[in-house]
Amino acid sequence: MRRLGFLAFLFLPFLGFSQEYLTKTGSVVFLSKAPLNEFEGKSKALNGLIDLEKNLLDFYLDLNTLDTGIGLRDKHMRENYLETEKFPFAEFTGKMEPIPALETGKSYPVKAKGKFKIHGVEREITVEGTLTQRNDQSLQLQSEFVILLDDYQIDIPKLVFYELASEQKVSINATLSPKK
Amino acid sequence: MRKLTLLVAFLLGMAFPSFSQLERQLANENQPVDLVFHAPRHINLLTVEPLEKKSMHFAIMHTFGTLDGGVENLFGLDNGANIQFSFEFGLSEKLSLGILRASRDKVYQAFGRYHIFEQTQNGKKPFSLSLAGGAGVITNTYSFLPEPEQPTFGDRMNYFGQVMLARKFSGKISFQLSPMFSYFTNPLPIYQIEGDQNFYFALGMSGKWKVTERSSLTLQYIPNLNSDLRSNFGIGWDVEAGGHVFQMYFVTSQALTEPYLLAGGNGVPGEEFRLGFNVNRIFALGQKKRR
Repeated sequence: MRRLGFLAFLFLPFLGFSQEYLTKTGSVVFLSKAPLNEFEGKSKALNGLIDLEKNLLDFYLDLNTLDTGIGLRDKHMRENYLETEKFPFAEFTGKMEPIPALETGKSYPVKAKGKFKIHGVEREITVEGTLTQRNDQSLQLQSEFVILLDDYQIDIPKLVFYELASEQKVSINATLSPKK
Repeated sequence: MRKLTLLVAFLLGMAFPSFSQLERQLANENQPVDLVFHAPRHINLLTVEPLEKKSMHFAIMHTFGTLDGGVENLFGLDNGANIQFSFEFGLSEKLSLGILRASRDKVYQAFGRYHIFEQTQNGKKPFSLSLAGGAGVITNTYSFLPEPEQPTFGDRMNYFGQVMLARKFSGKISFQLSPMFSYFTNPLPIYQIEGDQNFYFALGMSGKWKVTERSSLTLQYIPNLNSDLRSNFGIGWDVEAGGHVFQMYFVTSQALTEPYLLAGGNGVPGEEFRLGFNVNRIFALGQKKRR
C-alpha cells in the first residue's frame, strides 16, 4: 500500500504540475476594410490552451459568438460566409518556435507555427505575437495576423465586393491562467 | 494483477495530459437557426424572423395594377400602386412593435410580433413559433357621402391576429404556416374590400426555396376558410444585397395589410397577376459606432 502511494507520487508530475495555461474568455477582433465599408467583429469567448512543457498551443473560437454590431449582418456572416451550422469553429493548433524562457513581468516576441482551420479548410500558418508572464503567474498572449477569405473557400459575391474585404485582420488578446 | 493496474494507471497518466487538445464546445448548445426567411416580411405576410433589440426594420411594399394591360400600361405600373411604408422596432429580442401606412383606403396600422421560441440547430426546438397582431384605422375621407352615411371612427377599425409556425427544413427550404383572422368592425361597401363579413379566417402559407447563396424563390398562398372570396396567391424572388433584401413578386391582390389580404378579394391566379416589389432594410439603433 505504501509503495502504491509512492508510485502515485511519481505520477504526480504528469497529472498535476504540467505547465498548462487556460482561458475561455480571450478576445478576438477581426477587421474587414473594404473600399465602401469597414467593420469589426468581436468575440470574448476565445478558448485557449498553452502548454509550455509540451509546447502545445491550442485555440478555438465558436464563430457563433462573433458580433459585428448589426444582427442581420451577423446572420448573413454565419449563414452565407462562415456557414457556422456546418463549421462552427475556427481552430488553431501549433507550436511555438522557439519557446521563450519566460520571466515574470517581461514580454517576449513569439512565433507559432501550426494548423489553422476555418470553414472546413485547414492550412499551415505562421503567426507572430507577444507573450507576457504577468505578476499573478498568468500568461498574456497578443497576436495579430491576416487571413484571406479566398484561402478558406469563403466566396465574396461581386455584389458585395466593395463592402466585404477578402483580407481580414485578426487580433487576439487572451489572458491564460495556470491550470489548477 | 497489481502490475496491470499500475501499468494502466501509468498509461492513463501519460496519455491524458499529453497532446490533449481542448474539447471543442459550442458557447450556446441551443444556437437558433439563422434566417428561416430573408426578412421579417415574405411577399405580403409577416414571418418569424425576429428583430434584435434596438433595431428597426423599414419596409416599403408596392403592388401595382394588373399585368393584362400589357406594355401600354407598362404591365400595370401606370395604374397606380398600393404603397405601404412600415417601421418596426425591436424592443427586446422577442418583442417588436411597428406602425405602417398603406395607401389603399389610407390605412394606418399598429402591429406587433412576439417570438415565443426559435428553432434551434440541435433540433431541440424543431420549429419557430411567433405571434402577431395589429389594429388599423381607415382614414380615407368619404366627402361624397351625405353626413349621416359617413363612417364613424368605430366603423373604420380593422384588426388581425395570427400564429406563425415556421421550420427551416434545410439550408434551402423553409416553410411557414400562419393561421390568421381579421375583423372589420363594419365592412362598408365603400371600402376597397370585396368581402362583406366582419370575420375572416385564413391559413397563410409561406415557402422559401433558396436557389443561390443570396436569392430565393418565394411562394405565398392564403386560402380563405370562411368566405367565398378567392384566395391570395403569390410567387416571387428574394434577393439579399448587402444590407437590403429586395422582394419581387407576382400576386393576385393589391392588398398589403393583413385585414385587406383576407377581405380584399383576389384575381384568378395567372389571369390577374400584379407586380409587387418590397424593399427591406434593417437599421441598428442606439449603438455607438464601433471603431
